[in-house]
Amino acid sequence: MTTVAPIFLTLSAILGGIIVAALAWPGIGLVARNRRRRVNAGRIQREDALKHLCNTEAGGRRPTLHSLAGALNIKPDNTGALLRDMDQKGFVSFASGELALTPKGRSEGLQVIRAHRLWECHLAEETGIHATGWHARAERREHWMSPAEVDALSAQLGNPTHDPHGDPIPTAGGDLAKDGGEALNALVPGRAARVVHIEDEPANLYAQLAALNLRPGMRVEIRDKNEERIRFSADGAEHEITPILAHQIEVLPLPETEVGEGVETLASYQPGERATVLGLARGSHGSERRRLLDLGFVAGTAVEVEMVSPSGEPTAYMVRGTVIALHREQAGLLLVKSAEALKS
Amino acid sequence: MSTSILEPAPAAACAACSTYRAARLKKLGLDLQASDFVIALAGNPNTGKSTVFNALTGLRQHTGNWPGKTVARAEGGYEFGGKRFKLVDLPGTYSLMAGSPDEEIARDFILFGEPEVTVVVVDASRLERNLNLALQVLEITDRVVVCFNLIDEARRRGLEVDTRCLSRDLGVPVVATSARFGEGMPELLQAIDDVAAGRFVCQPHRLENQPQDLKSAIATVASQLLAVHPGLPNGRWVAMQLLDGDESIAAALRSGELGQMERVEVPTATDSTANTTVIDAPPSVEAIEKILQTADSLRRQVGTQFHERIVEAIYADAARLADRAVTRPGAKQYFDFDRTIDRVVTSRVWGFPVMVLLFALMFWLTISGANVPSRWLAALLLDTVYPMLQHFTAQMGWPWWLRGLTVDGMYLATAWVVSVMLPPMAIFFPLFTLLEDLGYLPRVAFNMDGLFKKAGAHGKQAMTMMMGFGCNAAGVVATRIIDSPRERLIAIITNNFSLCNGRWPTQILIAALFIGALVPAPAAGLISALAVMSVAGLGVVLTFVASWALSRTALKGEPSIFSLELPPYRPPRILQTIYTSLIERTLIVLWRAVVFALPAGAVIWLSANVHFGGVSVAEYVIHFLNPLGVLIGLNGVILLAYIIAIPANEIVIPVVLMMTVLITKTAGLGRGAGVMFEMQSHPQLLSLLHAGGWTLLTAVNLMLFSLVHNPCSTTIYTIYKETRSAKWTAMAALMPLALGFVLTFAVAQVWRLFVH
Repeated sequence: MTTVAPIFLTLSAILGGIIVAALAWPGIGLVARNRRRRVNAGRIQREDALKHLCNTEAGGRRPTLHSLAGALNIKPDNTGALLRDMDQKGFVSFASGELALTPKGRSEGLQVIRAHRLWECHLAEETGIHATGWHARAERREHWMSPAEVDALSAQLGNPTHDPHGDPIPTAGGDLAKDGGEALNALVPGRAARVVHIEDEPANLYAQLAALNLRPGMRVEIRDKNEERIRFSADGAEHEITPILAHQIEVLPLPETEVGEGVETLASYQPGERATVLGLARGSHGSERRRLLDLGFVAGTAVEVEMVSPSGEPTAYMVRGTVIALHREQAGLLLVKSAEALKS
Repeated sequence: MSTSILEPAPAAACAACSTYRAARLKKLGLDLQASDFVIALAGNPNTGKSTVFNALTGLRQHTGNWPGKTVARAEGGYEFGGKRFKLVDLPGTYSLMAGSPDEEIARDFILFGEPEVTVVVVDASRLERNLNLALQVLEITDRVVVCFNLIDEARRRGLEVDTRCLSRDLGVPVVATSARFGEGMPELLQAIDDVAAGRFVCQPHRLENQPQDLKSAIATVASQLLAVHPGLPNGRWVAMQLLDGDESIAAALRSGELGQMERVEVPTATDSTANTTVIDAPPSVEAIEKILQTADSLRRQVGTQFHERIVEAIYADAARLADRAVTRPGAKQYFDFDRTIDRVVTSRVWGFPVMVLLFALMFWLTISGANVPSRWLAALLLDTVYPMLQHFTAQMGWPWWLRGLTVDGMYLATAWVVSVMLPPMAIFFPLFTLLEDLGYLPRVAFNMDGLFKKAGAHGKQAMTMMMGFGCNAAGVVATRIIDSPRERLIAIITNNFSLCNGRWPTQILIAALFIGALVPAPAAGLISALAVMSVAGLGVVLTFVASWALSRTALKGEPSIFSLELPPYRPPRILQTIYTSLIERTLIVLWRAVVFALPAGAVIWLSANVHFGGVSVAEYVIHFLNPLGVLIGLNGVILLAYIIAIPANEIVIPVVLMMTVLITKTAGLGRGAGVMFEMQSHPQLLSLLHAGGWTLLTAVNLMLFSLVHNPCSTTIYTIYKETRSAKWTAMAALMPLALGFVLTFAVAQVWRLFVH
C-alpha cells in the first residue's frame, strides 16, 4: 500500500494542529508560560526570602545568610547576591550590622504570607483538596495574587482570622497576631491542651501528621512520654509519635475547668446506642462543618444510631426527629458522650 | 392550564366546612401580571413546601419525597378576596446561615426581595428541627405566617399539637394544614391575607438566650446600625451576620441596599411618626465603615466559635418552643412504622435482594409494557400518517425535493424517535416517580453509598444511573439531588454509561442477528439477552471505573460534602404522580428530542440526495470515514450513522440500513435514497449487512460503541444547562467518545490477532 487514506491525513493534521497550539498559543501556550516563568523567577525568589525573614522575625529568631540559603534551597554565594539586590531595592538593610527587614520589606513579606494563608483557607473551605496538598499549592499561588485579589479572596472567605493550620492571617494593614503556643513535647502528661498550630514544613513530617488526622483545635492530652516515643490522645483517638514529630505540633494548655475525660466520637457508636453531642471537632472545615451544624448536630443534641448501610457506609442517625446518614469521617468529627454516662 | 382535573379528592372536605372562603380562591397558575402582594414560601427540605405551593397556585411543581427538590425558584399566582398574590417557592434549606447557594437564594429573597409575607412551612412531627429555620426567618422579617404542615402525619404518630400556644410564642399566625389533602388551606389563605393587609400585626419572637458575650457584641453593632438606619426592621440579625463575617451583608450595607429596607418597611409600619425617615439622606460612607470596623474588631474578640454558638442558641430556643407546643401522649418520639420497614429494606440480608427485585420488576414492566404501544405508534406514524403525508404533499404539487426534505427527512426521523422513545419513557418515569414519592429511593442511595464512596462518588448516583437507563438527559437533570459539587459532576459526566432506552433497540437487534445466531436456535434468545445484559453491565462497571478515575484526577479539587436524609415513608398519590412525571420528565425530554430530530432528518435526506459528480454526499463521507471505521472494527456507514444520530440514538439502525442499501446498490430494498426504513425479516437483514461487509467483529464492536460514545445532543445540551461550564460539557462529551475508540480499536486488534 503506497497511499495513506485521506481520513488519517486529516486526523494527523488535526492532532498536529492541537500540539502546535498547545506549544505556541500566545499567552497560554507552553512557550509563553516558560518565558513568563523565567521573567518572574527573580521576583518569586525575593518574595520567598522576605517571607522567610518575616517568619523568623515573628518567631523571635535571628535570620542569617545560612538560614536563608537553607530556606530557599540555594547556595550561600547566590544568597549574597540576592540580599545585595534586596538591599538596593530597600527591602532589607544591614544598617544595624545585622540582616534586618525594612518596614517596606516587612509589609511586602506579610502580604505574601497573607496571600499564602488565605489561599490555604480557600483550599480547605472551598475545594476538596486533601490537607497534604494545601501548602505546596499555596506556595505557588502566593506569588500570583495582587493585593486587590487577596482582599477579595479574604472577603469571599468571610475574613478569616486563622488559616487551617492555626496560623494567624496578617490583616490587610499588615498586622500579625501571635498565639503563644508551646511544642507538644513540653506538655505535662495528664494536662489537656488545644492544638493551635501544626507546622507544615518540612512536607514529609507534615504528611505523617496529616495521616494521623491531627488538626488545629483538637483536644490533646499526653498519656505517657519517654526519649523515643510520645503517646497522646487527640479527640479520643490514641497516637504514638517521635519527639521530632511532636515538635511540629504547637499546643496551648487548656484551663483546668475545660479538661474533660471520656470524650469519644460518634464513629465509635453501634446501632441502638445513644449519645449526646458535646460539639464539633475543630478539625472540621468550611461547608462540611456548617452542614453538620445545620443538620442539628449541636452541643446537647441527643443522637441515636439507627442502622448501618449493607455496603458498610454510611450510618444513619436519628437526630432531632429526622434520620440522617453520615460517612464515618463525618461521624468522627462529632465529639459525643454516652447518653447514659451523661445522666449519671 | 386546567386545574380541576386531578385535584386531590379530600379538597371537598374543606369546601364543606368553609365554602365561602374557598370560593374566594382563584388559582392563577403562571398568570403573574400585576400582583398586589408578593408571598415567599420558605421551609426545610421535605416538609411538603412544594405541595403547599401547588395547592395554592394550581401549578404542578414536581414534588418528590426527596430533600432538596426545588432547586431554582418557582413562581406562581393566586387570587384571594379580590387581591392578587404572587407566590415564590424558595429552595428548601435547613438554615439561612450556612452560605450554600440554595440558602443564599432563599435568604436574599426574604431579605431583599421584599415579600409582603413570608410563609414558613414546618413539618409538624419534626417541629424542633424546623423551628430552627422559622426562628431565623423571624429574625430577618416580622411579617411571617407559619404553615404547620403534615398535620395528618403528626396525628398518625400520636403527637398533640397546640398551634395557639406556638402562635403566641412566635408572635405570628400559625395555621395547621395538610396540603396534600387540602386541609387548612382556607385558613392559611386567610392568615396570609390578614398579615399582608396589616390586619394581623406580628410581634415576632426574637432570640433571647445567646451567651452573654455574644449578646453584648450583637447589641453594640446593632445599636450603631440603628443609629444610622433607624427604620431597619432586623438590626440585630444584620449585626449577627456582620459578626459572622458575612461579606455579602457588609456589601449590601455599603451599597445602601440594606438601607432601602427601612423605607420599604416604613409606609406599612403602624406608627405614623416613622414616616419622617422616608426623606432622610442616605448615611455617610464613614458611618457605615465605622460600623463595619466595630464589627470586625468585635469579631476577633468573640472568637472563631461565633457561628457555632449562635446556631446552638437558636436550636436551644427551638427545642424549648417545640416542647411547649407539641406533646407526645404516646411518649414515643421515634417512628416504629418507618423503622420496621427500614430494618428490612436496608438490612444486610434483604437490602440488596429487595432492591434488585424492585428494579428488575420495573425494567420488565417497562420493556414488556412498551412493546405494544410502540408498535401502535409505529403503525400510526410510520405506516399510516407517513403515506398520507406523501400522498397529500404530492396532491398539493410540492416539488420532489421539498417533499423529500420535509416528509421523508424531517417527519420520518421525528416519527421514528417518538415511536421508539415515548412508550418506554411513559412507563418508566411514572414507575420511578412512584418509588421516589414513596421514599424508597433515598434508601437505595443509603444501601449503595458504600460502593459509590469507594469510587469517589455519592450514593445518590445510584438513582441518577437508574434514571439514565431511561434517558441520559433525564438522568443528568436528576443529579440535582446530589448536593455535593464534586459528586454531582461525577454523576453528570458518567451518566452516559447507563445504556439509555434509545440504545436498547440497537443492542437487542444486533445481538439477536449476530450473537444469537452463534448458538442453536433454542438457546439463541437467552444468549442474545445475556449479551445485551453484559453490555449494560459493562456500562455499570465503566461508571464505577470512570467515577474513580475522575475523582482522583480531573475533579480532585472540587469540593465535596455528604449528608443523606432518609425521609419518612409517605403513601404515593398515584394519579398525580403519573400526571407530573408525564409533564415533568417524559414530555420535556421528548420535546427536546423532537427539536433535535427535525434537523437531523433533514441532514439524512440531504446527504443521500445531494450529488456531486453522480456520487451522493453520504457516499463521499462513507468512503472517507471507512478506513478509520475498519481500523476500529466498524465501517464508514456506522461512523456516519453515529455522526448523523448525535441528535437521537434511536435512528442509528434505520440510518445504517438505508446507507448500506445506498452503498451496496442493493435493488428492491428500502424506500429510496435518504428514506429510513426497518426490516422485519432477520435473514434478509443479515444478508444485507453481510453484503455491506459486516462480520461478527463489526457486530460486537457496534454493541460496544453504542454503549461507549458521546452522549446524544439532548444530553449534551442538558449537561451544559446543568453545569454551566463548557469545560465539563466537553469533558462529558469527548471522554466517552475517546474511550469508545480506544475500546473498539483494542478489541479489533486482539480479534484480528487471534480470530483471523
